[in-house]
Amino acid sequence: MTLVFDRLRKEYGQVVAIDDVTASFAPGLIHGVIGPNGAGKSTLINMTAGSYTVSSGSIVLDGKRLDRLKKYQIANSGVARTYQNIRLFDQMTTLENLEVCFYPTDVGGTWKEVLWPPYASSRRDRRREKCMEILRFFDLQGHADAEAGSLPYGRQRMLEIARALVCNPRVLLLDEPAAGLNHHETAELTARLAAQRSPDRITIIVEHDMDLVMALCDNIIVMHHGKLLFQGTPAEVQASTDVQLAYLGTANDIDDIRAAAQDRRAQLGIRTRRRS
Amino acid sequence: MSVAETLAAVRPRSSRAVAFLVFAIAIALIAATPFLPNYYIRVIDSLLIYILLGIGLNIVIGYTGLLDLGFVAFYAVGAYSYALLASPQLDLHLPFLLILLVAACLGAITGILLGIPVLRLRGDYLAIVTLGFGEIVRIIINNLDWLTGGPKGIARLDKASILGIQIARPVDFFWLLLVVVLLAGLVAWRLERSILGKAWAAIREDQDAARGIGINTTNAKLAAFATSATIGSIAGAIFGASQRFVSPESFTLQESVLIVLMIVVGGIGNILGIVAGAAILILLPEVLREFAEWRILFLGLLMIFLIIVRPAGIVPRSFGPDKLIRRLIGK
Ligand SMILES: Nc1ncnc2c1ncn2[C@@H]1O[C@H](COP(=O)(O)OP(=O)(O)OP(=O)(O)O)[C@@H](O)[C@H]1O
Ligand SMILES: [Mg+2]
Repeated sequence: MTLVFDRLRKEYGQVVAIDDVTASFAPGLIHGVIGPNGAGKSTLINMTAGSYTVSSGSIVLDGKRLDRLKKYQIANSGVARTYQNIRLFDQMTTLENLEVCFYPTDVGGTWKEVLWPPYASSRRDRRREKCMEILRFFDLQGHADAEAGSLPYGRQRMLEIARALVCNPRVLLLDEPAAGLNHHETAELTARLAAQRSPDRITIIVEHDMDLVMALCDNIIVMHHGKLLFQGTPAEVQASTDVQLAYLGTANDIDDIRAAAQDRRAQLGIRTRRRS
Repeated sequence: MSVAETLAAVRPRSSRAVAFLVFAIAIALIAATPFLPNYYIRVIDSLLIYILLGIGLNIVIGYTGLLDLGFVAFYAVGAYSYALLASPQLDLHLPFLLILLVAACLGAITGILLGIPVLRLRGDYLAIVTLGFGEIVRIIINNLDWLTGGPKGIARLDKASILGIQIARPVDFFWLLLVVVLLAGLVAWRLERSILGKAWAAIREDQDAARGIGINTTNAKLAAFATSATIGSIAGAIFGASQRFVSPESFTLQESVLIVLMIVVGGIGNILGIVAGAAILILLPEVLREFAEWRILFLGLLMIFLIIVRPAGIVPRSFGPDKLIRRLIGK
């Protein structure tokens, strides 16, 4: 079973952001989504996760329509995501950011937690054990009790991915996980993402960093003006003149695409805190 | 030893001393209260009622991050529950504990009724709509003469009693309120630390991301409104029983604003802060009574001063009851 987009479409008034995209994503693989700015990559992620509604077409996961569900129901169907602009729970600790992900499974025991302290602490210990495991996987255990908003930018990116992974999702959607990271951190990220690969998981990565995409992905989708322009293995994508045209307007080397992506990354400011 | 090291060595001990001091003052106050003249006990009773209201409202404002300016409506629901069920008005004379239960349920129901229409609202919009809700409830009470006695209110409420023990003197209410405040504080604090409390915090920080990790924000918010309103309504029922008279005058917008101020000045999201905020905003006006017209000015200045020097409140969110206890036992 897979995740399937069938003639998926998104319109913002006159603007067609996604133009009848049909694609399917098999588990066990890492799927890359690339394309120039404004191609509609984030819109795809946002529709899959339920942040945006679907104008027409459908999104089906394991035979179940996702596009009719509410956002929290989609999350509870096993879809986890990160955001292009990091969205953590800033004033909660790193550990709490993960712990709260167990809400859907544990909320039924809330009153028991309130009235019966031993139950509360055993529940909390169980949750925290799983969280610490993921934190150790991302080498964040030293930050467990720090406020998420106070972590360095690179750690916040890692924490957001950790939060998406803590409940062992069936679908992992990453929107530009390497944006704003330095070379060292990008290498670390690449290694972690390769390590989280599992036979049941569908991983979809939207990314401008060509090195990361080429190193990590088994299958790449190229978006252009809301349309699915090309689909293939990294080698096929690198060889395609269509892809080069889409990115640069001329047929050029993949290295130029890389340079263009790098420029764009340099423009990305470090995240400012939303709170005053 | 560097300055920093010296400070690090001294601070835990001195903060432990502060914790002890706070605790000792609280115990001394509680022990001394029964021997004070009735006037002072009444002031302390009203302080406890405001702390109770603060604990309730803090669930919505402090934990969930929703600015509710109509909290006084739930207080009114509780007070009028007692007034209607234990007075000659409808010639009903139900036992106090039963009325507390009824008031708690009615509070939860009104909390959810207010919660449903405002689910989509946040920030300023939410504040305005809840403010309107508070006013509507007061105006309804004011105009429903046949039931509520209108602006005249309802007088000659029954004396309360619990299992045959009469609760009538200010000192009786002091003990009752102390128990209720401690219980409500404990429940609120444990709720905050429960998984639901974490979800409230996530909604406060980023509602959309909270949905993204599978939190049904509708249910979580309604749970916050309901528990908050339940505590407010219980406070109202006890208030009614202690005054043995209720009228719409006690439930004006000013009351809501006062409770919000208490929370903000004391330390939003922190029960210890509410106690501190209530102590300042409720006790100080009493202390300054002699200065009549000057006291509002003085209070205003004090508030400006506090907001400048302690923008996160007197006791910040991070210093919760667990920290206080840990300091006391020296860990
Ligand atoms: N909320 C919105 N309202 C109107 N138009 C939108 C909205 N969100 C996106 N768009 C438009 O939809 C198109 C696709 O946007 P999207 O954010 O999906 O691009 P992207 O591929 O993620 O680009 P980037 O690489 O810059 O993140 C763009 O033309 C954009 O202007
Ligand atoms: Mg994007």
